[in-house]
Amino acid sequence: MSARPNLPDGLVIVVKEECETCRMVAPLLPSIAEHGPLTVFTQDDPEFPKELEAVHDADLAVSWHHDVETVPTLVRVVDGVEAERTVGWSQSEWRRITGIGDLGADLPPMRPGCGSLSVDPDRIDELRVRFEGGRLRSRRIELAALEDDIEAMFARGWTDGLPVVPPTEQRVLAMLDGTTRAADDVVASVPPDLVDVTVEKVAIAAVMAGCRPEYLPWVLTTIEAVCTDEFNMHGVLATTMPVGPVIVCSGPGTVAIGMNSGVNALGQGNRANLTIGRAVQLVVRNVGGGRPGGVDRATHGNPGKLSFCFAEQPHSPFGTLAESRGAPAGANAITVFAGEGPRCIVDQLSREPESLARSLAACLRTLHHPKLVLAFDVILVMGPEHARVFADAGWDRQRVLAELDACLQLPGAELVRGAGGIAEGLPEQFADATLPKFRPGGVLLATAGGAAGLFSAMIGGWANGTVGSQPVTREVGT
Amino acid sequence: MHDISDLELRGVPGVFVASSEFVQAAEAQSTSLGFASIARVFTPHPIQDRTDAEMRAYAEAAYTQVVAALTST
Amino acid sequence: MTSRYVLDPTGERSVAERELLARPETIAGLRVGLLDISKPRGDVFLDRLETMLQEAGAIVQRYRKPTFTKPAPVDLRHEIATQCDVVIEALAD
Repeated sequence: MSARPNLPDGLVIVVKEECETCRMVAPLLPSIAEHGPLTVFTQDDPEFPKELEAVHDADLAVSWHHDVETVPTLVRVVDGVEAERTVGWSQSEWRRITGIGDLGADLPPMRPGCGSLSVDPDRIDELRVRFEGGRLRSRRIELAALEDDIEAMFARGWTDGLPVVPPTEQRVLAMLDGTTRAADDVVASVPPDLVDVTVEKVAIAAVMAGCRPEYLPWVLTTIEAVCTDEFNMHGVLATTMPVGPVIVCSGPGTVAIGMNSGVNALGQGNRANLTIGRAVQLVVRNVGGGRPGGVDRATHGNPGKLSFCFAEQPHSPFGTLAESRGAPAGANAITVFAGEGPRCIVDQLSREPESLARSLAACLRTLHHPKLVLAFDVILVMGPEHARVFADAGWDRQRVLAELDACLQLPGAELVRGAGGIAEGLPEQFADATLPKFRPGGVLLATAGGAAGLFSAMIGGWANGTVGSQPVTREVGT
Repeated sequence: MHDISDLELRGVPGVFVASSEFVQAAEAQSTSLGFASIARVFTPHPIQDRTDAEMRAYAEAAYTQVVAALTST
Repeated sequence: MTSRYVLDPTGERSVAERELLARPETIAGLRVGLLDISKPRGDVFLDRLETMLQEAGAIVQRYRKPTFTKPAPVDLRHEIATQCDVVIEALAD
């Protein structure tokens, strides 16, 4: 990697022969040089300009490191530091900076410049590796001559069972453009092995998952959330229950990056939904060391452990889940939840909110087992048509949740072991009590899904509270 | 060598035996496969014109190395 | 051929190169597969190894691939993988 070259003091002009504006200003250069120190850098043809001897910025190190995006660029340098610059030809600016009052009298007042070679789309990936590759710290692994790229990823055990995108330097550097954070910033300590993961390592996972750079801040924030003591990723991995991180994304940023909160929101097909979830799982697997057969002991698991990430409807009648959990209004945020696969709730006939609330409650009651209460949370993903039944009746989030809670006060007699001829259940001592199915705050309400279909979905959780996992909401950084 | 590489991926420790003609090729191929540490044992060369008694002697000479390549003690 | 590199996605707590599988302690009692690559004279070599391995307490099974010019068919590799604890492939010249 080349180091940042310094600019000489005085005036510096960067040009390329291919640019008409540069050719137009070339005759001015000798008179500028008479007024004071002048260094001209030429990007393409070393013989240009013929009026003055120029330095050939052959590898574009000067142009890259000094952010030259347009040619010609005129810079005034004082004691090694850039004082000011102008791009393209502007008679007034060039006269002011050079101090030559009648400079370019026979030229038009203004003429735009051309694109600098250092920002040429055909070259930029190669330049990035050349000039920024050194900031990558990860071990480079050479693929053997006979190895197929994709097979090589499988052979090293780096995949989740599906092919991954090989994380070349070029791809990882391009991914790092998606965040303002430094590549060597430590994001979190990843269970189960409690290995520190840097922004760079998360970017590698994001490349492998198939993310675009603009998804990276969402992945970074989710990793932070997943690695908290509250979320308890180690427990989530080690349990025999079929749970994994479920990521609910909120805010206008979800639309900006093209996430799906509508038709088939929990299904396949949307790159942002699927790759964000996948990147998080790849970090847990490859950095944290959590994988099936190792720490991951799930009896059945669920397909969501590949990736389970979706966006909430931006204009839900209930506000967003993130806002209800403390995120500022309109913020971009994620909520992670230790959850299983979704189950469908069907109600195609309830037109009144009371009826629909009872319907939803009847289905929620069966979460994990009809006789088990309080130990599990749930995400209720309300479909838009169901949400409208409540919204039309003026019910807000609080009202919906309160009504569900009222319908889910259960008689202990039905819940105790042996009741209904079923051994599972609560200890005898609860026979006379009335118990709620869910703890306060245990129902997380989000709105997502297509506009047609009188369905909702429920995503059951792992054990809640301090011995299990608690949902975590975080605002997304940059 | 590809077979031994594949069988190791399937969980079966393996070793291949080749004549000394193969020493360089084995080095190059194993590196190209991304498995430089693949276990191998070499016999003298040539093979084709050896009598049965000579072949058995090759086997006896190679035996200790072969077993060592497959066991940990 | 130019070198191709990828960045290591792991926590870098172990070596990057592919390592040999852990070996069992001793040959006695092991199911040993002998895979003949089908070049001439290899069978005599393997016959002698077979006897010596049996004397050491191994249980030997013989296999043969159809041609030395290609990797063994996948069914054969699967068979070996399910029937053997370790494998010896011979004899290339």
